[in-house]
Amino acid sequence: MKQLPRVLALFLAFAMISGCVEVRPWERGYLARDEMAWDSDPLESALNDHIFFSKEASSGGSSAAGGGCGCN
Amino acid sequence: MKIKNTTLMTLTLALGLAGSVYAAEEGDIAPDFTLPSIHAEAADITLSDLRGKVVYLDFWASWCAPCLKSLPLYNDMYHRYKDQGLEVVAVNVDNPIEDGTEWLIDTPLDFLIPADPDGVVPELYEVFGMPTSYLIDTDGTVKLVHMGFRDGDMEVIEAEVQELLAAQ
Repeated sequence: MKQLPRVLALFLAFAMISGCVEVRPWERGYLARDEMAWDSDPLESALNDHIFFSKEASSGGSSAAGGGCGCN
Repeated sequence: MKIKNTTLMTLTLALGLAGSVYAAEEGDIAPDFTLPSIHAEAADITLSDLRGKVVYLDFWASWCAPCLKSLPLYNDMYHRYKDQGLEVVAVNVDNPIEDGTEWLIDTPLDFLIPADPDGVVPELYEVFGMPTSYLIDTDGTVKLVHMGFRDGDMEVIEAEVQELLAAQ
């Protein structure tokens, strides 16, 4: 009986875990929308990235293309 | 050890409650529904009206690449077997519906396409992946549940359709 609060808390926590991830298969269109992407415009973000590393003399750590050869 | 068991039991109970599934499975009566057609001028579509026909029920959306691959092939199948009593019902779950209708402009399909932007019917069928299709016999019983669409699937589906059409 001493365990009851703990069991109850665990139960609620686990029950809520499954509530977090309910994107049903037929709702995945929402995830496919432009506004759900990290970069809604790949060209623009590539340009921004280029300007950033040109100005800051820094490269890497972002999603810029290049295999780390240092020749970018 | 006692605490471990309690944790495990709680986990099982909690997840068990969350995931109760009443999917439409092979051998079940296909849940009935009435939905408006995606084409504004067409009549509503009721599944039970199609009793006496072999029905191929599919769920699709314009964002689902394998669905878009399968639909023109279903259209061909529909034309090959409609005279023998095949009906194809492809429920569109796009929200907004316009995503679906825009795709249909370039790829006209001749079978029934109900629109279900709120996902009421896939909920009813507990669709567990996109696309999922159900082959339903003349009595309304689900004979085949098919998830996904890969190369070679069409042959399997068509063989089942032929078998059902021959049996009626």
